[in-house]
Amino acid sequence: MRARSRAMVAALFTSVALVATACGGNGGDGGNTGEEPQAPGAAGGEITINGCTPENPLVPGNTSEVCGGNVLDAITAKLIHYDPDTTEPQMDIAESIETEDNQNFTVTLKQGYLFHDGTEVKAQNFVNAWNYTAAAENGQTASYFYSPIEGYEATQCAEGDCEANPAETNELSGLAVVDDYTFTIRTTEKVSNLPVRLGYTAFAPLPDIFFDDQAAYEADPVGAGPFQVESLSSTEMVLTKFADYAGEFPASVDKATFRIYQDPAAAYADVVANNLDVIDQIPTDNLIGDQYQADLPDRNAQRETGGLRWWTYSPADEQLADNPDLRKAISMAVDRQAIVETVLSNSATPATGWVSPAVDGFMPDVCGEACTFDAAAAKALYDQAGGYEGTLTYTSNTDGAGNQQIGEAICNQISNNLGLDCQFQGVVDFATFNEGIDNDEYKGIFRSGWQMDYPSIENFLAPIYAEGADSNWSDYANPEFQQLLVDAAAAEAGDASNQLYQQAEQVLAEDFPTAPFTYAKATMGWSDRVTNVKITAFGTPDLASIQVIQ
Amino acid sequence: MTDPSGVAVSEFSTPPAGEVREGGQDRQEARSLWSDAWRELRRNPLFWISVVLIVVLLTMAVAPQLFTSTDPRYGDLAVARQPPSAEHVFGTTSQGYDVYARVIHGARASILVGVLTSIGTVVVGGLIGLISGFYGGWLDALLSRVGEIFFAIPLLLAGILTFYLFPPDLEDPLILQVLTVVGVLVLFGWPSLARLMRGAVLQVKPNDYVNAARALGASAPRLIFQHILPNAVAPMIVVATLNLGTYIAVEATLAFLGIGLRSPAISWGIDISLASSIGLVRAAPHMLIFPSIFLTVTILAFIMLGDAIRDAIDPKLK
Repeated sequence: MRARSRAMVAALFTSVALVATACGGNGGDGGNTGEEPQAPGAAGGEITINGCTPENPLVPGNTSEVCGGNVLDAITAKLIHYDPDTTEPQMDIAESIETEDNQNFTVTLKQGYLFHDGTEVKAQNFVNAWNYTAAAENGQTASYFYSPIEGYEATQCAEGDCEANPAETNELSGLAVVDDYTFTIRTTEKVSNLPVRLGYTAFAPLPDIFFDDQAAYEADPVGAGPFQVESLSSTEMVLTKFADYAGEFPASVDKATFRIYQDPAAAYADVVANNLDVIDQIPTDNLIGDQYQADLPDRNAQRETGGLRWWTYSPADEQLADNPDLRKAISMAVDRQAIVETVLSNSATPATGWVSPAVDGFMPDVCGEACTFDAAAAKALYDQAGGYEGTLTYTSNTDGAGNQQIGEAICNQISNNLGLDCQFQGVVDFATFNEGIDNDEYKGIFRSGWQMDYPSIENFLAPIYAEGADSNWSDYANPEFQQLLVDAAAAEAGDASNQLYQQAEQVLAEDFPTAPFTYAKATMGWSDRVTNVKITAFGTPDLASIQVIQ
Repeated sequence: MTDPSGVAVSEFSTPPAGEVREGGQDRQEARSLWSDAWRELRRNPLFWISVVLIVVLLTMAVAPQLFTSTDPRYGDLAVARQPPSAEHVFGTTSQGYDVYARVIHGARASILVGVLTSIGTVVVGGLIGLISGFYGGWLDALLSRVGEIFFAIPLLLAGILTFYLFPPDLEDPLILQVLTVVGVLVLFGWPSLARLMRGAVLQVKPNDYVNAARALGASAPRLIFQHILPNAVAPMIVVATLNLGTYIAVEATLAFLGIGLRSPAISWGIDISLASSIGLVRAAPHMLIFPSIFLTVTILAFIMLGDAIRDAIDPKLK
């Protein structure tokens, strides 16, 4: 889990959203897409979209980067589909997912759902795929997603070395096939939001051909999604509409081509010139002064996605560790709005809590005064809290785009408004940075970030603040918070459990182990040939919704 | 003694000429060469322009407070990315830093790198060239081959490779960071000067006055430092001065690529690097233009000086 979560944090700050969602559908209205009114489009036609070279062959359980993720999104179908506007989970391949105790789940599949090779999607395809992805022996990057399922530990190899210490089994004991269209899941602990998690690409079913002839699958990946692969090459990846698609979220266009660009600036120029239809991430320098809005009038959109930046107060720093008022004073001294407008060119919004607005259960302004800039109040609280002796350092890796600029800006704000000496301290790369955090090398404050794995409030709390969690960089431990997490996981999914998670978030606001900084946003642009371009909460374009103007 | 004076020519121009002239009282050839050169230089307007520029730049590097009282590290987001105005004559950066203050304070790193690298290559290259030219034989073969190995690797490529493999520690103070860059540039920059020196030594060695000194029983060090070096050093001084500009440019390129000197060190290369994405050039061109102008002028000044010295010293151009 560690490697994966942290890899995601890195990705967030290179402006790459890692986790991707399913495609399809005409979502509900509104959301916070901030779209311009668009001309009506029609079905059919061909589109091009910027792509990049996938790291690995297109296997759902082994793709954790956006290059392969965007393609896999389009060609796979999952049990759950996230609405592109509201991120609401909707049944896709699943007919129903039922549970009485949040621990034993029964999944019923729709009949007649086909893979691209014509075979039907059956319960066995899910169980086989999940066992394959979870088993450490297969080295799939998304393996940790299966950790809540019973028997996960037994599929892992001791000390991460499968040569020397083979795992006990390659099958999850928590999965069982009942009949062709039914299977059951048993989790180790109660997990109220398990169904919400099942929409991630790592939970996609794999066709029989994958297990018979993996090389053939990799050459021509087969899924059950609205698009199928026509050809893959080093310059473009061509997808066509799947004629026998049986799901409820079909593609609108007949053909979608991912054209591979080495340099996003070139892709941007092509969109401006109408030579490329969609760019999924406008280069950061074109965001300055809202240039892209002038370059792409009425054909751009921006949306808050499930990412969060914050800074962590180092648990190794004695001055900060026992002084929540000092931590709040430092937070209050930072003018988030000014940094967002200048350094980040509005590619993010100031955060007011520990949970992204992109997920169900978000509550605004949990942080309250402590995240609201007020230089005078901050200074007063700072003096009252006893101040900070010596130089406060803000540590961050410098290999991610913009990290250093953000760090310098935060430090300048703290120095200017509190009259203490704050210095930016750069660390060469992300791996070194993580090692330093694990070894308690950094005093003061340091950069943290998170890109959600699945759209649930839980994903912003449990992996980061539960005692002993892998990404608990602040070494946070509070029994009250811990109990609320357990209660929420056992409560009925939806409002009941969300309310408990919100209470847990309020405990964070009291203890203030970290200071929320910004919510991530994705910015896209498109040519004047296409319409209905939607940004999902994962920061990816929803390929199935895009229409060609005719 | 000769080496520092050689570099002093490139920096201050006047004293070494006098120094060598005094030293040349008892050596006919030396006196005429250096005093001729000085006479030539004085008449060259290019020389005076470059000297004035270099003096101003050196003052900037030594005492930036004379030019600005603004703290180059004080960032005020309220005035971020503003175009030039009365208050901020060169405008401000994305962090709200004053561009003028940063340009003034950036001179130190660039000039330190240029000057120290030139001195370093002159010392190392000169010494090795002198030894291989004077002693010849297997030592010459060995040193020349080693030199060729380093010569084959382009300076910029060597810098990129080294800093990529061994990134500088960001906590190091500026001078240590500068010395690291200088070290790498010297390591890969000395062979050209060594070759030049070796050639010059080979030309001077068979001269009668050297043979006469040898016949009178002069020791090897005396031969080298009294008779050969003063007569072989001229071309090296010229090339070292010309190279100085190149080294500044290489440092800026490395910083531009995000290696070499790093923030919070202030250098023109770093600031140019931060200001040069296409969208930023459109939105705030002043962030790029001013450090670039200073970098260009500095390189130009040193290259002009090198040119002027070459014109003065090279007998073929007379």
